[in-house]
Amino acid sequence: MAAKEVSAGIFEITERGGKQLATINLVPSASVYGEKLIEIEGCEYRIWNPKRSKLAAMVIKKFNVPIKRDSKVLYLGAASGTTVSHVSDIVSDGIVYAVEFSQRTMRDLIGLCDVRSNIVPILADANRPQSYAHIVEEVDVIFQDVAQPNQSEIAAVNAKQFLKRDGHLLLSIKARSIDTVANPKKVFKEEVRKLENDFDVKFEVADSQELMPFHEDHLGVMARVRHV
Amino acid sequence: MKIITWFGTLTLDSDGKVVEWDLFPKDTDVLAERLIQPKEADMNIPPTGFDIRAAAIECGFVASNDEYDKLLRDVSIRAAKQQISSGTPDMGIIQAVEALDDIDETANTLSERLAEWYGMYFPEVGLSSEPLVRFVAKYGSRSNIPTDDRLYEKATSSMGAELTGLDEELVKGFAENICTLYDSRSRIEEYLVKSMETTAPNLVNIAGALIGARLVSMAGGLEKLARFPSSTIQVIGANRALFKHLRARAPSPKHGIIFNNPIIKNAPWWQRGKIARALAAKISLAVRMDVYSGELNESIKTELDAKIESIKAANPKPPKRENKNKNKGGKVKGKGQKQNTGGRR
Repeated sequence: MAAKEVSAGIFEITERGGKQLATINLVPSASVYGEKLIEIEGCEYRIWNPKRSKLAAMVIKKFNVPIKRDSKVLYLGAASGTTVSHVSDIVSDGIVYAVEFSQRTMRDLIGLCDVRSNIVPILADANRPQSYAHIVEEVDVIFQDVAQPNQSEIAAVNAKQFLKRDGHLLLSIKARSIDTVANPKKVFKEEVRKLENDFDVKFEVADSQELMPFHEDHLGVMARVRHV
Repeated sequence: MKIITWFGTLTLDSDGKVVEWDLFPKDTDVLAERLIQPKEADMNIPPTGFDIRAAAIECGFVASNDEYDKLLRDVSIRAAKQQISSGTPDMGIIQAVEALDDIDETANTLSERLAEWYGMYFPEVGLSSEPLVRFVAKYGSRSNIPTDDRLYEKATSSMGAELTGLDEELVKGFAENICTLYDSRSRIEEYLVKSMETTAPNLVNIAGALIGARLVSMAGGLEKLARFPSSTIQVIGANRALFKHLRARAPSPKHGIIFNNPIIKNAPWWQRGKIARALAAKISLAVRMDVYSGELNESIKTELDAKIESIKAANPKPPKRENKNKNKGGKVKGKGQKQNTGGRR
């Protein structure tokens, strides 16, 4: 068994010929959602399943993930915290602002925040960044997985308020939540065009790839703000 | 410019420098309260590029980055916990509706199992689902059936095996367990009727308590339902048909779960679509009245009845079938019945 760091805080574990993603467990011996824990040379890793996490799928698709050990991350659409927990592992010296709208999933997320010291839970609508602007500081990375029809607009308004000048946006676009009947490829093209042109904040898309076979009809996007 | 942050209000000069501050008490509960309700008169949100963290340290609210992180986290967790603990009556209704569905599914599976099982011992019983379950729980072996029971004859002449000892105990106990499920089901139904009458009297008056509860559950809350257009209410519960319609050339659904209302169910097929539209319109009015005034208003029901009467009077006979496809063999199926009319799609 061997662990190789593929990006800051993200490891590829080779075990019996198979490769798996993993992060170093911030809270040793605790499994968050039933994922496997593996100890290698005194260090405990949590296996990270790309089928359950858009971010993990993006790592496997060779995105140059800009999250570092001391990054400040604004996480929109935190849900019950599956991916958030891994981001929290990665930014062991940083902080994650986890925004979630649903009360039901917030219940699970709070349980996670209770045991992890670097997550700030925020029950709010990502459409209205002004409702949490008094809490969140400027961040290095915005990660967004909200499955809303206006998701590119949500990314833009949040980047305008919170993203540092040289910060990055990581975005997962779900074609089916924008238009259930249209061809996903067309939807993706249109969303990328919107990100580049339509809003106050104009993005420069650095990388975009479909997240097949892990997530159907999803496009992973990494972008930066274009400054004129 | 005055801005608000989670730890206090700050006054900034034109360069964005903090010149004055009014800090909140450094108490987790108070801060959590302020976090949820930050709206104060003439307050702005921090301008883009403003460093909240640096300001907190500069004003002396916290001494270090670590203290900032720790305090903000504690406050946020406290605030989030407070926000999710406020349950409303319609949330109780949603859970009850879901529980009802779960019970139906489970009781069905279990009673089918019991029918198979008990069939070994008394195949002529001729009962199924709830009556069978009640029967087995009451008597167990068919030798216990009293002479005045109408199944007595069949029981004595049955070709089934004898049910005795441990087997009887097991089968009877199994049936008793399913009985408690049916009991629980009727208690939930009673609860729903009562709870709906207090939370949504108008909706109950127009749609009926159980259909109303189901609508609330599918919409995800009474207020959400009130915001739906009536065209949505008309087809809630017909998702498959609706998406088939949007994706392909399938006809649009005429009614979703409101079909279960007797005024649609008992209407002849050619009136159902029209009645569904009228009913949905009145349901959406009723829900809005429940959410925003809460008083029972009988006039909606009167208007609905009048509308339905006029629909019935205007469409007394089934429409004539259009005969476009003359001489095109294979296109016309069925005998004298129009394709794709009537029924729930």
